[in-house]
Amino acid sequence: MPDLDDELMERYQKGDENAFTLLVRRHQQPLINFIARFINDRDSAEDLAQETFIRILKAANRYKSEGAHFKTWMYHIASNLCKNELRNRGRRDRYRVDNVVNSGNDRDGEAEQIDLIENAPANPAFQPEVALERKELQNAIQKAISELPEQYRLPLVLRDLQGLSYDEISEVLELRSGTTKSRINRARLMLKEKLKPFI
Amino acid sequence: MNCQQAEEHFSAHLEDTLDYQTLQDFESHLTKCEACQGEYARFQDSVNAVQQLPQIEPSPYFMSALQQRIATEDRETGSLKDVVTTRWQQLLDAFRRPTWAFSGAIALILAAAGTYFYQDLRPTPVAPAPRTEQIATSPEVFPVQQSRRVGGDTNRLLQGSVISTPTQPMQQRYMLKQVSYTTTSTSGGL
Repeated sequence: MPDLDDELMERYQKGDENAFTLLVRRHQQPLINFIARFINDRDSAEDLAQETFIRILKAANRYKSEGAHFKTWMYHIASNLCKNELRNRGRRDRYRVDNVVNSGNDRDGEAEQIDLIENAPANPAFQPEVALERKELQNAIQKAISELPEQYRLPLVLRDLQGLSYDEISEVLELRSGTTKSRINRARLMLKEKLKPFI
Repeated sequence: MNCQQAEEHFSAHLEDTLDYQTLQDFESHLTKCEACQGEYARFQDSVNAVQQLPQIEPSPYFMSALQQRIATEDRETGSLKDVVTTRWQQLLDAFRRPTWAFSGAIALILAAAGTYFYQDLRPTPVAPAPRTEQIATSPEVFPVQQSRRVGGDTNRLLQGSVISTPTQPMQQRYMLKQVSYTTTSTSGGL
């Protein structure tokens, strides 16, 4: 039985425009999260996610459901776009380390402030100090992820932030299963060292 | 199992994918090694912390921005949906990539160079000497077998073969006589 993504792609191939809109709705959030965490830049993440969907649209007629899964295909396209972006950016300047934190969580920050006022007396987890500490830890983790070499960062983000299986990651990155596993373990070990002062 | 080997199995142990023997070895090492116990605890904490990072949400304008971009692309390149995907188109697409275009250009240059040198190395057909006249044919031109196939007067044909004797009259012998006009003396003229 084909999964919903494959069915939607088939429907789009047959002329159902709404099927593609539904595909975008299903995947926009995880895709933007993946790109933003991988390139550490929320603003560019939306552009790259749009570019990914346009590439999918252009290649839609060539898509065959019995080949790769839609999800792994989408991440494969997005990964390549991200690598190109980082390569181009590397020539211009260094990564904007704090972008995700400064611009990406501004709305979350506002929402959190409202929550703090409303929930502070009832829930100690929403104490300003606790929230600040949590925010600092999140910033430190994001910074540590962005400092990982690309070949380790990519499988780590796919595994620990996107929740893909090892097989799916191997498909996205076109790696052997053993290589994928060892890279993820290595990435986690590196991250453990980087987060030593915080954890 | 030593500490380094144990470290290699941190993820597999965390995700419960170790086989029975490795699991036994790993856990027996961990019970004996305090350093590895600490490292493994911090490993688990950092993985948990990463997994609990908040999800980044798309802006409310994401979908409309995407639709606008698709409409722009549609106007510029024709309908995206009607993108021709014939094999020829795919081949042309491949050659639009810089690597393929470069490889294609190199292949063409090599093919052209190969053809040029092949023509240079090939033995040129011997053109008939413009000022040379062949009076008679050498015996090799008419081997015995060829003459026999013709039938008829075998003796006469055999006489015209390689086995010619010096006693035969001059006009019956096969000889090659060449007259070259280029080497003829001009007798004091030009």
